[in-house]
Amino acid sequence: MEARVLKPILGVYCAAFILFLYGPMIVLAILSFQGAGGGPQFPIIEWSTYWYRHLLGMTEPGRISRLPIGDSLLRSLTLAVMTTVVSTVLGVVTAQGFRTRFKGSGVVFYLVILGMIVPGVLVGLGMALLSNLLGINRSWWGTAFVLHVVYTFPFAFLVMLAIFNRFDRSVEEASLSLGVSPAQTFRRVTFPMIFPGVLSAMLFSFTLSYDEFSRTLFTSGRELTLPLTIYGTFSVEIYPNIFAFGVLTTLFSFTLLLIYALLMLRAVRSARSFKGQEEAA
Amino acid sequence: MLSLNSVTKRYGAFTALDRLSVTIPDDAYVSLLGASGSGKTSLLRVIAGFEEPDSGTVSYDGKHLNGVAPHRRGIGFVFQNFALFPHLSVENNIAFGLRYREQEPVVDPADVRQRVADIVRLVGLEGLEARKVTAISGGQRQRVALARTLVTEPRMVLLDEPLGALDANLRERMCDELRAIRERLKVTFLHVTGSETEALLMGDTVAVLSAGSVAQIAPASSLFSAPLNADVARHLNAYNVLSGKAEGGHFHADGARFPLPDHPVPQDGAPVDVALRFDRISVVAADAAEPLDAVIPARFVASEFNGSSVLSFFRMDDGTLLQVVAHLSGPPPRSFESGALYKLAFDPRDVISFTERAA
Repeated sequence: MEARVLKPILGVYCAAFILFLYGPMIVLAILSFQGAGGGPQFPIIEWSTYWYRHLLGMTEPGRISRLPIGDSLLRSLTLAVMTTVVSTVLGVVTAQGFRTRFKGSGVVFYLVILGMIVPGVLVGLGMALLSNLLGINRSWWGTAFVLHVVYTFPFAFLVMLAIFNRFDRSVEEASLSLGVSPAQTFRRVTFPMIFPGVLSAMLFSFTLSYDEFSRTLFTSGRELTLPLTIYGTFSVEIYPNIFAFGVLTTLFSFTLLLIYALLMLRAVRSARSFKGQEEAA
Repeated sequence: MLSLNSVTKRYGAFTALDRLSVTIPDDAYVSLLGASGSGKTSLLRVIAGFEEPDSGTVSYDGKHLNGVAPHRRGIGFVFQNFALFPHLSVENNIAFGLRYREQEPVVDPADVRQRVADIVRLVGLEGLEARKVTAISGGQRQRVALARTLVTEPRMVLLDEPLGALDANLRERMCDELRAIRERLKVTFLHVTGSETEALLMGDTVAVLSAGSVAQIAPASSLFSAPLNADVARHLNAYNVLSGKAEGGHFHADGARFPLPDHPVPQDGAPVDVALRFDRISVVAADAAEPLDAVIPARFVASEFNGSSVLSFFRMDDGTLLQVVAHLSGPPPRSFESGALYKLAFDPRDVISFTERAA
């Protein structure tokens, strides 16, 4: 009885929520097809792909200069990949360490988690001051990279901690008892089994780093990352080419998600057995 | 030959193994009987090297195993939940140890295939090689777990309640097969179980684990007919154990008095435990006139029908519960009246007495 009333209400609420969530993005996408003479607002003067072509340098040079995003896009992608690799490796290793209780593990846990809790602007500012003090040049691949790792590592760590929490240790012990060394056991048994978690940790690290703003603001030095560059263009005047770029970068993110989903599906299919073994226990 | 000498293992305040010493002979099927919490899994884990003892030594053929990493001990382990590698097929599960072990891995794929095929035939898994381990039944998983261990030719195999996850039917069949497989391979099996029937059925030798140490280790038949102390007798789930005092060659407790056997010599006033087999007791009416050597008066509580026998429960006046088994191959047992008083009669020569009381 209750469910009959509650279900449609929840459904409508959920739909409204999703509309609200995607509303800005939909508006952005629509405006990105504004004609050459139109501005970044309604009404649409003329439907065209002009701003996409403008973005890619395929239009006649005119009054409005191209978005200077080529280099910063490359930088941001490189930075995100670097951060992903380092944070995921650190996350896996740390979570592995936490599988056995050690003295002070509680303190270490909160120290790691601190990296995602402290306000980004403050950490960025602090890093800037510190690097000035030590005479280190600020750069996206140095100071900013360190902060990106500090920020994303806790996410990767928490994901891996959750994975290891429901990991059946006896499977590793079985491998050891067959004469297989701990290193080989990790490679042949542990890693394939935690792989879905590793994928999630990577996805977290990548997306968080890719659009990180506050921590990067004071630490990237002269060469800017993509979010900083885009923010910089706002200070001049906004044209629909930013919207076009927004659409493209969203598509890129969705592609990443799709790849993640496919890999995940494969991994989960081959490791469905958690269930099977619990059932037998 | 595996020897444990005064092995102690504590987890915080809890002592799982308490100065345990035992020797496991080569080429034998040893079953280890213990109630849950008696330390049997801890014992296996210490032998396998997953845990280090706090004190005492583990050695194999005189060589110390303390501090030796589990993968260098040459001791196989079959887990209760099988612990198969979920991401690998049946065949790859079995080939795993051969391929990736540290010492003498088998690198020739044809050799691996041959050995896997041999063991697959031995445990009866033909035709399932390519299956996922998640797509086979519990009994088949059990076989994969066993095959995976046996194919690496360990000098000893530890089985942690290997039949616990199987249903009753399958359990009986696996019992026979385990014995047959072991006899063919001439490797020592140390089989841990909480079931006395399984322990007696499987083991050439049975060790009873109680409160963290081995209470008795003996061939199955002699262990069953002559338990060393009251604790062992209790574990066998076939004896009524009574505590009392010796008085003039008689056992004396509240509501029970009967002659004690001559050996061990009963000392007047000394505490004594006696064990009396369930199936050596006959029930007679309280007012029966015929003279009886030894009786315990008790009231009937309830009966359980077990297929081939009937287990009846009686309560003595002091609250002690007694069990009586009547096999249905004999004359059909009478039905008893609930709460009514009966005499439990037995031959005093069937009484086993223990003067040293277990702690």
